[in-house]
Amino acid sequence: MTVFLQSLLSGILVGGIYALIGIGLTIIFGVMRVINFAHGDLLMMGMYLTWLIFTYLGLDPYASLVLSAPILFLWGALLQKVFINRVLGALPQNQILLTIGLGLIMSNSMMLLFTSDYRILTTSYSSSSINLLGLSISQPLLYSFLVTAGITAALFWFLQTTDTGQAIRATAQDRDAAQLMGINVRRMSVLAFGLGTALAGTAGALLAPTYYIFPQVGGSFTLKAFVVVVLGGMGSIVGATLGGVLIGVTESLGAVYVASGLKELVVYVLFLLILLFRPAGLLGKSKA
Amino acid sequence: MPSLLRRTARGFSLPAFLAYLAVILLVALVPLVTRKPLILHMWIMVFLAIAQGAAWNVIGGYAGQYSVGHAAYFGIGAYTTMMLLELHQIAPWYGIGLAIANAVLLSVVIGSITFRLRGPYFVLASIAMAEIIRLATLHFKDFTRGAEGILLNGIPPLETPWFTVDFVGKRPFFYASLGLAVLVISVNWFVQHTKLGYYFQAIREDQDAAHSLGINLTLHKNLALGISAAFTAWAGGLFALYVRFIDPNIVFGIDVSVQVVLICIIGGIGTILGPVVGSVVLVLLAESLRNPKWLVQTGLASSDSSTIAFIEAHLSNAHVLFYGILVVAVVLFAPDGLLGLLRTGVARLKKQRAAEPRPAA
Amino acid sequence: MTMLASRILSLAAAVALALPGAARAAPIKVGFINSITGPQAPIGETMTNGLELAIEDLKKKGLDLQVIRQDDTGKPDKAISAIEQLATGDEVSVVVGPYTSACAAAVAKQTELYQVAQVIPAASKEDLTRQGYKWVFRVNAPGNVYAKSLIDAALSFGKPKTVAFIYESTDFGSSLSKVGKEYAIQKGLTVVADEGYQSGSPDYRSTLTKVKAVNPDLVFMVSYVADAILLMRQSRELGLKPQAFLGGGAGFDTDKFEKEAEISTNVFSVTQWTPDSSAAAEEFSKRYTARFGKRPTYHAACTYTAMIAAGEAAAKGGGDRVKTRDALASMTWTGIMGTTRFGAYDGYTNQNLVLMPVTQYQGGKGVTVFPASLAKGNKAVYPFPGWK
Repeated sequence: MTVFLQSLLSGILVGGIYALIGIGLTIIFGVMRVINFAHGDLLMMGMYLTWLIFTYLGLDPYASLVLSAPILFLWGALLQKVFINRVLGALPQNQILLTIGLGLIMSNSMMLLFTSDYRILTTSYSSSSINLLGLSISQPLLYSFLVTAGITAALFWFLQTTDTGQAIRATAQDRDAAQLMGINVRRMSVLAFGLGTALAGTAGALLAPTYYIFPQVGGSFTLKAFVVVVLGGMGSIVGATLGGVLIGVTESLGAVYVASGLKELVVYVLFLLILLFRPAGLLGKSKA
Repeated sequence: MPSLLRRTARGFSLPAFLAYLAVILLVALVPLVTRKPLILHMWIMVFLAIAQGAAWNVIGGYAGQYSVGHAAYFGIGAYTTMMLLELHQIAPWYGIGLAIANAVLLSVVIGSITFRLRGPYFVLASIAMAEIIRLATLHFKDFTRGAEGILLNGIPPLETPWFTVDFVGKRPFFYASLGLAVLVISVNWFVQHTKLGYYFQAIREDQDAAHSLGINLTLHKNLALGISAAFTAWAGGLFALYVRFIDPNIVFGIDVSVQVVLICIIGGIGTILGPVVGSVVLVLLAESLRNPKWLVQTGLASSDSSTIAFIEAHLSNAHVLFYGILVVAVVLFAPDGLLGLLRTGVARLKKQRAAEPRPAA
Repeated sequence: MTMLASRILSLAAAVALALPGAARAAPIKVGFINSITGPQAPIGETMTNGLELAIEDLKKKGLDLQVIRQDDTGKPDKAISAIEQLATGDEVSVVVGPYTSACAAAVAKQTELYQVAQVIPAASKEDLTRQGYKWVFRVNAPGNVYAKSLIDAALSFGKPKTVAFIYESTDFGSSLSKVGKEYAIQKGLTVVADEGYQSGSPDYRSTLTKVKAVNPDLVFMVSYVADAILLMRQSRELGLKPQAFLGGGAGFDTDKFEKEAEISTNVFSVTQWTPDSSAAAEEFSKRYTARFGKRPTYHAACTYTAMIAAGEAAAKGGGDRVKTRDALASMTWTGIMGTTRFGAYDGYTNQNLVLMPVTQYQGGKGVTVFPASLAKGNKAVYPFPGWK
């Protein structure tokens, strides 16, 4: 029973970070209909930025978010303006290719700048835990989970209540209609990509105290982000949050009750099952 | 059958056919001219890339289903061939046949799951299927040897009534892979010019319209995938025999899937020559950036070239970066691939020439 | 812009100046195949560093070799391109590398074919020197030695009865733990958990929870560079407390792991080489640290040794491949890895016999504790006293 509860708990907490990665991707997909294969590389940029700030300014990874998130927002906005914007109407395979290319450029530039060696960021709480009723709660994961919850709530509020947020949602629902309504669709795309990048980077920052950093770290997270987004329904923020937690829990329980080496496989099987039986995702609206 | 021949005759032009034949014969002479193994190795890599690219082109280019999970078929081809040979002593010419059968079976399974999905969902599902197979191959070590991979000790000689082929050195692989590349290109030609191919292309243009015209979507998508999977597996089997070592990440890795798609898009998707152009450019460019000195061997550059020294000294760590830049440049400036770029360039030139007032004679 | 232009110009000038000189001297060529890019690049980097120091030392001895480098990107087909370039294009006398077992296996087939000696510095796959190859030499001990040393060490410190295996699903991880399991059973231990995992996940807590539930006496882990830190951090979080943590080299044998005193303390690791094994090793370690800003790993030491052996053999052979091969087979080197000599034993050929020391991290520093002949009186902390 302890084993079950303990793995369930770790699964939920790790799922929070997956959710954050997924939310960034889902906003980008929702507004632009572009599958961003460079998402994991954006996360990697966030990790390096956090590491730099931690190493040279001595700022705690969580505190450094106030610096790194805006920088990444600008970076994302720039990428959108210079590159992604040009392929918005293009064939989907060309969009995929473009983001793959951008990902390769980012990871290999970082390799040239920082070498391919691993960076480890050690904080005082990197391996600390709180003991509660015989269960251990990882401190860094708990902090990350709280930050994620806060960001998700803020984002939800932003998209539901502010004018800009509503304009982004309108663009996501129907680009052409939004344009007719006088919404500056291009601006919304820049905002969305910036936001998505900042969220990916934030996830990177949250992972930094417990994980390790190297130029190719993004790859596995890109795939995971896709799964999260599709599970939740493309474009749905609440869906991505649920999807992230669901995947965290599936991995965790899969490792215990199936096999450690098969936990990712279990996730992909779940992913395919959902695609087949609920193609719009758990919370997505099915499109005619 | 006669009706098929008549139909294929529609797109057939004798001069073009003869030109192709001449090029193939010329290429086939390469091993007689040069004995440099590195040059033959590069040709083999190019041929295998062409075979994979052209095989993908059937489902991705003609039928318009952008699978990013072709590593599944490549890997199953490689694994079936190697496991039969190394663990059960079954010669690879039978092994590759079984590998192809396995891949077609797998394509039916994968197709029955993924073809219910469209657009980005199909792309993601195809990736997921390939990853599932990779992870399973890694995990079930008693059956596949897992991450330890399979190291090939030797290939038995192929004895025919007329001659014996020893699989030593590059030549047998050169001709085997050349033959495969030519075969898959021919398949592409048939797909482009036969009724079957028209069905594929109708599905690509508009699935719903194709369906309402009475084209059986499931059947034809699965047919296209089956053909594609068969040749991809063949290429995988050859690759394994040639490299002599495989492990799940080498043959089932997602970069295998992405590379194939890149080849087609960079060359020109849904065209016969696209995968050929894409393979030549990508394989040779990647190699030239990784090891610029190989150009010296080909005679394309002299050994004291300062460009080569420059690339070696400064860029050898950055070859993947250049690869990325190339990909981005192609998408932005040549969205129809290099072949498309060439075509629009030629068209523009012609237009210009037509528009210009002819100088007085 | 002008700076770049002037750099290119000066470079071109340097090339122009260097070339005629190079043509006159016709130096002996040594090829080096390594993972400069790709997933194994972090280890590749330490190997390149080891190589640099070896080239310097060879130069000091008057051996000015031309080292030609090739990147295999961690993929065997690229490694084949690399060996073909080196063997048939550059016509090197001897090849050092590649790092990964997959690439080394692919290259070995070709070096046999082209009859050029290959010195493998740090690939662990046992098969590499069990094929009866004549041209393939290996400096490091093959995978099974890792596992045997660790289990022998644990059995000499205490009386463990059960062991759990956690390992990365890579060639290194799974072959090491396979031998480990066989050897553990042979020594009367019971294997209570066998968990292969995929690297790249930020969370191994569930795997560790499962292992904690069976309460093993020994936890045997095999993982590459950074997962070692991750596994130990999460073990600490969960309060996993066996009699001993045994780390199978690789990720457990890096300066980064060593520095994380909070989680590395009392963990055992096995290695091909330690800086405290001899005066020469200590000196090498100091030089390496001063030059590259971090402690050398065994990969660096093995590559250094491989390059010294290959360089000296090539010089002795005067550029002739057969003579170089014969020199490798007959020479003996005494250096930072003690005595290096390629011989035949236990079905291996051209294999250097390495006694693998077991170290324990004590207060952020690796201390050799086993075997007694290398431990020099250092005492191991056993059983694991618990987390702070």
